[in-house]
Amino acid sequence: MITLTDFLLVGALLFCTGIYMIVSKRNSIQVLIGIELMLNAAILNLVAFGKYDKLNNGGQVFALFAIVLAAATTAVALAIILNVYRRYKTIDPDEIKNLRD
Amino acid sequence: MNNAISYTDPSIFCYAILAVALPLFAALINFCLPVKSKAAGWISTLAILVGCVLSAMVFAAVWNQQPQHVQTLWFTIGTTKVFAGILLNNLSVMMLLLVSLIALPVHIYSTAYMKHDDRYSRYFTYLSFFCFSMLGLVVVDSLVLFYAFWELVGFSSYLLIGFWFTKDKAVQANKKAFIMNRIGDIGLLSAIIIIFAKFHTFDIATLFINDNLVFKSVIHDGLWISASGQIPAVWQYVACIGVFMAVAAKSAQFPLHTWLPDAMEGPTSVSALIHAATMVAAGVFLLGRVYPLFTDSELTILGVIGCFTAFMAATIALTQNDLKRVLAYSTISQLGYMILAMGVGAYGSSLFHLATHAFFKCLLFLVAGVVIHEMQHIKEENNLDIDPQNIQYMGGLRKKLPVTFIAAVVGSLALIGIPLTSGYLSKDGILIQAFEWSEGRSAWLKLIPAGALFTSWLTAFYVSRLIVKVFFGEFRLLKKHPEIKLHISDGGWQYRVPLILLAICSLFPLFSLNPFFYEKAWLFESLKPAEFMARENIYHTIIPIGVNILSVFVMYAAYAIYVKRNTFSFPQTGFLYRLSYNQWYLDKIYRKAIVKPILGLGKTCFWFDRNVIDGLIHLIERSSRMVAALTAWSDKHIVDGFLHLMAALVQSIGNFARKFQNGKVQYYLYSMLLIVLILFVLKILI
Repeated sequence: MITLTDFLLVGALLFCTGIYMIVSKRNSIQVLIGIELMLNAAILNLVAFGKYDKLNNGGQVFALFAIVLAAATTAVALAIILNVYRRYKTIDPDEIKNLRD
Repeated sequence: MNNAISYTDPSIFCYAILAVALPLFAALINFCLPVKSKAAGWISTLAILVGCVLSAMVFAAVWNQQPQHVQTLWFTIGTTKVFAGILLNNLSVMMLLLVSLIALPVHIYSTAYMKHDDRYSRYFTYLSFFCFSMLGLVVVDSLVLFYAFWELVGFSSYLLIGFWFTKDKAVQANKKAFIMNRIGDIGLLSAIIIIFAKFHTFDIATLFINDNLVFKSVIHDGLWISASGQIPAVWQYVACIGVFMAVAAKSAQFPLHTWLPDAMEGPTSVSALIHAATMVAAGVFLLGRVYPLFTDSELTILGVIGCFTAFMAATIALTQNDLKRVLAYSTISQLGYMILAMGVGAYGSSLFHLATHAFFKCLLFLVAGVVIHEMQHIKEENNLDIDPQNIQYMGGLRKKLPVTFIAAVVGSLALIGIPLTSGYLSKDGILIQAFEWSEGRSAWLKLIPAGALFTSWLTAFYVSRLIVKVFFGEFRLLKKHPEIKLHISDGGWQYRVPLILLAICSLFPLFSLNPFFYEKAWLFESLKPAEFMARENIYHTIIPIGVNILSVFVMYAAYAIYVKRNTFSFPQTGFLYRLSYNQWYLDKIYRKAIVKPILGLGKTCFWFDRNVIDGLIHLIERSSRMVAALTAWSDKHIVDGFLHLMAALVQSIGNFARKFQNGKVQYYLYSMLLIVLILFVLKILI
């Protein structure tokens, strides 16, 4: 029987994988994939905790919203990456330091 | 006698004020003119001419009348009111007329005498200013104003003595005159202060004439008592000494006389007006104003000093070779006579002699001016190296300068006191009254008239010597330098008119219709004291005869010695000769005893200032600089160091914080994770 703990473990695994990808990858696209992984971990947690609300299925509804929003943000993020590439001819986040003061 | 309130004509005061103020206006105008302007001379002369006419009108109105007095409130200090005004009595109108009468010929003479001077208008500025001061001095009624004019007279005399200020001797002389006069001024000022403290007024009329407060005060039991209170008698003595000092300084009496011979460094016309006729008489005038202040014994001291001065100056005049210096010493001697006359109570004779002396001494100085002018002329024409004032080079000038010669003879006869001259009238009056005074006094005091008598013979000798050496015999300069040509004459009318005018004034008719009896002189009759002794004792006959017969002998002796050389000549090595030639060594004594110690004191003070006071200041300066250096060091290293430390600290903190802001997105996230992790760890641990 698959228990809540198993879901949470998978979620945590996914989250950690996402963080690791965000902080270590040299490619913005891979960083974006890391972000998606973390988002999916969060959505998995929402669905898992949804068993405590079988009446309204609030967890699943939130998960749907989150997926839609994730798709939107991903589109925005890809557009940003595309612009960054146009400007700097690279998408390595280490090379882009203009956020510095 | 003066209690009645007489009718006062206000125009008299206007005339008097105008007569005083005109020379001042002339001086102001001349001051604005260019330095070489020839108009200056005529402006001054016109001012003094009008002043002279006005003075004569004032004189005619006031002479032998009630004293005229007008005054106005000047200022108030506390409850003390100080008045200023004009006081016209016999004494002041006589002086007013005398000063303007003497000043007029001197002005005319000066226009020619100073013609070639570079600072012609400046000369007349000073001369007019002097006339203003002197005329002001004689008419004012308040001791404060009197003192102010007294100072102005001294100041203008200072300016004129040093008129040729490029000559070092002139500068020395005017400094000397000024300092000597300052000594007298201190005396006068202290006397005025004491009189004010005693009588609470500065008004001369109240003090000495109308109420005669001073005369009514008495000295009793060591106290000086009057209606207004009493103070210790010693103050009366101090006041008298102060007045005497002022008189001695202004009228060149022993021991303050040494400035007058040196004052001859000024232009000769100045010497004639100031240092022979008018300013030096200011001392005698002061005595005349404050006469009641002196008690009998103080008058005796005055007489002794006057007699001594007359004698000493006459002995010095015997051997001097400088033309003007001889005349200067004769002035001192004659002023001695005036003081002596004041001392023996011959108040009228003293002032009478002042008036006559003014005319003939002014005349003699103007004569000297002509002679010196011509000698200077010869000197410049022939490029000689001589002193134009030295009588050793002169002689035989009577043929070259006839008018001057006649004037000189008249002036000298008046100075000697030969009958038919004014000098006879006044001088014999003094001698006779001196003898009358000594009657019934101690033998020592009999020396005073005897000394005066002897001095009059000395006067006869040195005056004759002077005239003989200058005008008789041969021209000694010509003997020495036979090649020189002489182009000399009496000069223009500006020279002749004053000489003739003054020569006429030196004869008897101006003063008395009777040429032999001084008592008949109108000037004397108006000034004499009430208790005057009439012509009753033998002195009145014996003295004039004795004096004059011997004088004539002495004059002949001088003529014989200096022209004919057929009798003995004086040894020039004896002690008496050296004493006289070196002017009794008084200048040297003063130099050694007073000037040197004072200069030494000055040098010591200078040394003290340099080394001790300056040293102290330098020490303070150095220590302050050390303290300042210390402060600067601590400021730089401690205070600034602390601030720099703070700045460095802030900077390093900032640098540390900046490291996190390196612009890399992943690094930000990384740091955030780290911080969250640390927070969790801390939460678990605590």
